[in-house]
Amino acid sequence: MSEDFSVRVKNLTKRFGDFVAVNGVSFEVGKGEIFGYLGANGAGKSTTIRMLCGLLSVSSGEAEVAGVDVVHRANAVRHAIGYMSQKFSLYLDLTVAENLEFFGGAYDLFGRAFRARRDAVMRDLELDALSSELTGSLPGGLRQRLALACALLHAPPVVFLDEPTAGVDPAARRKFWRVIRRLADGGTTIVVTTHYMDEAEYCDRVGLMVTGRLAALDTPECLKRTFVPGRMYEIQGASVIELEQVAKDLSLLDIEPFGAALHVRIAKDGPNVESLKRELTGRGVRVTNVSDAEVTLEDVFLTVVGGAQKPKTAPREAKVS
Amino acid sequence: MRRFLRRTTAVAHKEVLHIIRDSRAVYLALGLPVVMLMLFGYGISQDVDHVPLAVADLDRTPASRHLGEALVAGGDFVREADLASPDDAEAAFRSGRVKAVLVVPRGYGRELARGVSTRAQLLVDGSDGTTAAIAMGDAAGILQAASLGRSAVASLSQGPRIRVRFNPAMRSTYNMVSGVIVLILAMVASLLASLTIAREWERGSMEQLFATPVGRVEILLGKLVPYAGLGFVQTLLVITLGSYMFDVPIRGSLVTLFGASLLFLLAMLGTGLLASVIAKSQLVAVQFAMLLSYMPVAMLSGFMFPIENMPGWLQAISMAVPGRYYLTALRGVLLKGNDLAVVAGDLVALAVFSVALLSLAVWRFRRRLA
Repeated sequence: MSEDFSVRVKNLTKRFGDFVAVNGVSFEVGKGEIFGYLGANGAGKSTTIRMLCGLLSVSSGEAEVAGVDVVHRANAVRHAIGYMSQKFSLYLDLTVAENLEFFGGAYDLFGRAFRARRDAVMRDLELDALSSELTGSLPGGLRQRLALACALLHAPPVVFLDEPTAGVDPAARRKFWRVIRRLADGGTTIVVTTHYMDEAEYCDRVGLMVTGRLAALDTPECLKRTFVPGRMYEIQGASVIELEQVAKDLSLLDIEPFGAALHVRIAKDGPNVESLKRELTGRGVRVTNVSDAEVTLEDVFLTVVGGAQKPKTAPREAKVS
Repeated sequence: MRRFLRRTTAVAHKEVLHIIRDSRAVYLALGLPVVMLMLFGYGISQDVDHVPLAVADLDRTPASRHLGEALVAGGDFVREADLASPDDAEAAFRSGRVKAVLVVPRGYGRELARGVSTRAQLLVDGSDGTTAAIAMGDAAGILQAASLGRSAVASLSQGPRIRVRFNPAMRSTYNMVSGVIVLILAMVASLLASLTIAREWERGSMEQLFATPVGRVEILLGKLVPYAGLGFVQTLLVITLGSYMFDVPIRGSLVTLFGASLLFLLAMLGTGLLASVIAKSQLVAVQFAMLLSYMPVAMLSGFMFPIENMPGWLQAISMAVPGRYYLTALRGVLLKGNDLAVVAGDLVALAVFSVALLSLAVWRFRRRLA
């Protein structure tokens, strides 16, 4: 198979009894790419990643990771991958250094080779000062960084991160993503799941999972253009009900609450800021401000998942529009 | 092979750190045996002594007084206030003041001197069956000896002489201590082993472990070794304590003794690992392990209930209890001084159980999540 791809997945399917958790998913991830895997809880993100790490058997389809056929040779892939599971799973009663030493040993790293890698990883992730701290006493952000450090010890060409930043504060998340970007720049392929939409913006390409299917796959920019065409405005001072009454007349495509304001989408050839404001006041809708707004991946997500379904709602109830 | 050993060492090293950090495991392994030995050795003795005894002496001769004194002299009975009449025995039993009453009829001294059979009577409170049975046995010996000393004629009619080998004083602590050693090793080893795999499942670290090149044999072996070490220290402690606190002799070879102990330990660790591999939750794993190890050892090893007394089918089941072979070997080496040749059969049985249980654990241990 091609050398340019680190991960190749074709019609990958996982069934648990009657339930199809992953349904005929196909995608490819290039070397050094950050591939974001988005979807609600239970949409099949973790199941896909677990199959690619050889942790779950594959029901049908093909999967190749770092040149290894995962479907038939799951054990052979382990040297080539780093994996951070969704649940924090290092040993809390061990110190930072002891956790690193154990995972070093688990990846066949010993002696000088281990020490060199450990020092490099600890430096990259800024863990130097913490080596004798008990892991259980660290805050969430540092724990995640340590987990990443353990997954990177053996310098794997492909790294799978399953919701690495869940429950981590924004500052620590930003720091974490800087590390991810640096890794990718160094040629490491990253497959990362998240349901933070702002994080998905950091990804080179984003796949959207909805109830086991890959509903969309593209760069964040293209996804926005494809799924959320038109212009986005931010309107302050009006209520959803007021706007819904005039939606037809002004051809408003979408009205979504956004903070204290509303995000309103209008077809590409629709009115600009000034004329929209005029039109609204003319129809008796009081607005304090109308301004241009960015289309976000959240808008994409909502459009793809359909209607008012929020990212955190149960996926099995979600309908694909 | 080299990688195998190194990865196993990495797992073992991590496990040692877990044990050191979680001092409960150490307390359990080294504290519990002391408590259990004390309880069983001192508290739950099957030797009956200090049975409260009242005497209704209607004869009032030196011979009748001697009879009462003989019972008390051995420490088996304690003399309570005398009864004026045998009719008071009923009331004394009911009040619980005494558990035995010696009735010496008028004319006892005379009959004894003449060498005819005497009619001294020992009444025992049968509501406490165990005490009654043992008190009767003890008393029979004492009473016989007491009358024998006085009667030339009676000695002519004595039966075969009984001599108890290996434990001439018939001390129940000997049996108790050896049984408790088996029980403690079975309990602690299977308990600790049952927690270790289930804990990794519960914490989610098993998933992380599966994503590394560490294999299932390496995981299980790496976990087995530290606990086998801890178990061995425990064995040393229990046997030393048993022999010092309760004067249980060690007549056979120490090497054979520890060899048998190690094999039994491996079988019990295997039981615990198997439970842990199947259950995936610490709570269930512990209960499962206890059911597989502790219960059979307590009930079917011959420690509490003699195997000879069991119905045939239960005896057949007891053949599958590793504790049975270990108890036989242990008693043989400790009390009889049996050498390797005699206990070889038991050792082979234990070895077969260890290998079988550990293999079963490896076989059942899936390195996949579903």
